[in-house]
Amino acid sequence: MSRDGVRTWLLLLRWQLLRNRKLLVTLVLVQIALGVGMIYGFGFLVPHITPEVAVFFATGAPTLGMLIIGLTVVPQETALARVNGRFSYVAALPVPRLAPMCADVTFWLLVQLPGWVATLLLAVVHFNLHLHVDALVIPAVVLVSLSAAAVGYGVAVMFPPGATQQVSSFMSIALLLFSPINFPLDRLPGWLQDVHRALPVTYMADLVRGGLTGRYDVNRALAFAVVGGYCALGLLVAGWAARRRS
Amino acid sequence: MGMLVATDVTKTYRSGVRANDGVSIDVAGGEVFGLLGPNGAGKTTLVSQILGLAKPDAGSITIDDVDVVRRPEIARRWCSYQPQAAAPVDGLSAREAVELVGRIRGGEASKVRRRAGELLSALDLGDVADRPVPMSGGMARLTGFCMAAVVPGRVVVLDEPTNDVDPLRRRALWELIRNLADDGAAVLLVTHNVIEAERCVDRLAIVAGGRVLAAGTPAPLKAQLGAPLRLECTLEPDAASPELPEGLVAAGLAGRRLVAHVQASGVAAAVAWARRAQEDGIVAEFALTPASLEDVYASWVTTEGAA
Repeated sequence: MSRDGVRTWLLLLRWQLLRNRKLLVTLVLVQIALGVGMIYGFGFLVPHITPEVAVFFATGAPTLGMLIIGLTVVPQETALARVNGRFSYVAALPVPRLAPMCADVTFWLLVQLPGWVATLLLAVVHFNLHLHVDALVIPAVVLVSLSAAAVGYGVAVMFPPGATQQVSSFMSIALLLFSPINFPLDRLPGWLQDVHRALPVTYMADLVRGGLTGRYDVNRALAFAVVGGYCALGLLVAGWAARRRS
Repeated sequence: MGMLVATDVTKTYRSGVRANDGVSIDVAGGEVFGLLGPNGAGKTTLVSQILGLAKPDAGSITIDDVDVVRRPEIARRWCSYQPQAAAPVDGLSAREAVELVGRIRGGEASKVRRRAGELLSALDLGDVADRPVPMSGGMARLTGFCMAAVVPGRVVVLDEPTNDVDPLRRRALWELIRNLADDGAAVLLVTHNVIEAERCVDRLAIVAGGRVLAAGTPAPLKAQLGAPLRLECTLEPDAASPELPEGLVAAGLAGRRLVAHVQASGVAAAVAWARRAQEDGIVAEFALTPASLEDVYASWVTTEGAA
């Protein structure tokens, strides 16, 4: 991204922070409560949580959070911005076409960050989990967040606002129930495992888990390549959608 | 050649509605150009194409000789814009919104801060500019204007800037619009407020049904009316519409307001008729004034509607 692009992204992020300032504390507290609830709640769902399962629960929470930001929050915020005129107003400003999307993702990552930290710390205490945070978690977070947001943004720009709500809700339910984020891939039926080997979700979860624990279930280079490829493709499609003129 | 030149711009939506049908306008730097027309005339569609948000089916749009249909990113850099709907200022104070847009448009922080302060003070918003509270319609619109004017582009597009604005601030707003042009910008002013626009525009185009019906400076357009004066009468509440004498041509009757065109040679007769009608209890009050842009606008748009 160019220097001007970074400057614009930071200004749009500032815009987001200012317009949401009254809700900011509430949003952060809700994310912390969700993380804490998830760690305790999974204890009710799965009575005997082994260290293996605990790793999936604790490290799956941030991945799930990033995917929900990208596939649900970003499209719904974008659809709302299309309805209230903010989208076309910002589109008429001299900003890189994907800068508003990047600012949205960054804002929601900042909102979620305290929740992730609380979740992981609680998991360390509650499940006696051993974390080994690696610097590679940073590119992993960037790639996962941008990939998901690119898909969500593309949906929001191409579909009418009403349809965007439906599509994004469907994507989040599919993620919650049928994606190997909080559980290993081999729990799924064979055909769904094959589907997920071609999709990026498994690799995303693995990259984040590996970055937090130092233990990767699939080849790390392959995971980065797959997620990086999907991210590039998603950004290309989202960029094309954002540049389209009626 | 103007700073902003649109030539034969045609745009048909997927629904089949032809919003622009060969529209041509030419706005020079230092000029306020009024785009006047009724709702649905295609004004906002033309603006969207100038800003690079929509693409014409045919025709060309250039800014400073650069084809902005092919290079919409240039349009975004060289145009600043106040939308017809209120600018998106929810959650922000007026000053924050104006400064943010100024910085996004590439302004230096200190210059943007100073200019934002000047604009907000000129519009008498200094006292409320720092409160991040929901804004009234008028205040949001004034803030939207400041957002367009804080770092003005070579072209400044203002879509209905005076809607919802109180009369005193409206006067200040017209002065600021004039200043933008005096500083060199080509100002495209889209408005329904024909009477007030007359004080500000250098040239104008009247559009309806997606086409430019008339264009030019106000004086020749008014001359086309064929009558330099207008007699405006307010009828008594229960009075029937009176028959006009020879030399007075009815231009319209809206409620109790009757307007007629008057030739210079017919002034004495027109005033005499109006006085008699007043004494007879038909006319409550009357005024003889020079023909205005509103008359030009009404004559063109009414003719188009009747066609």
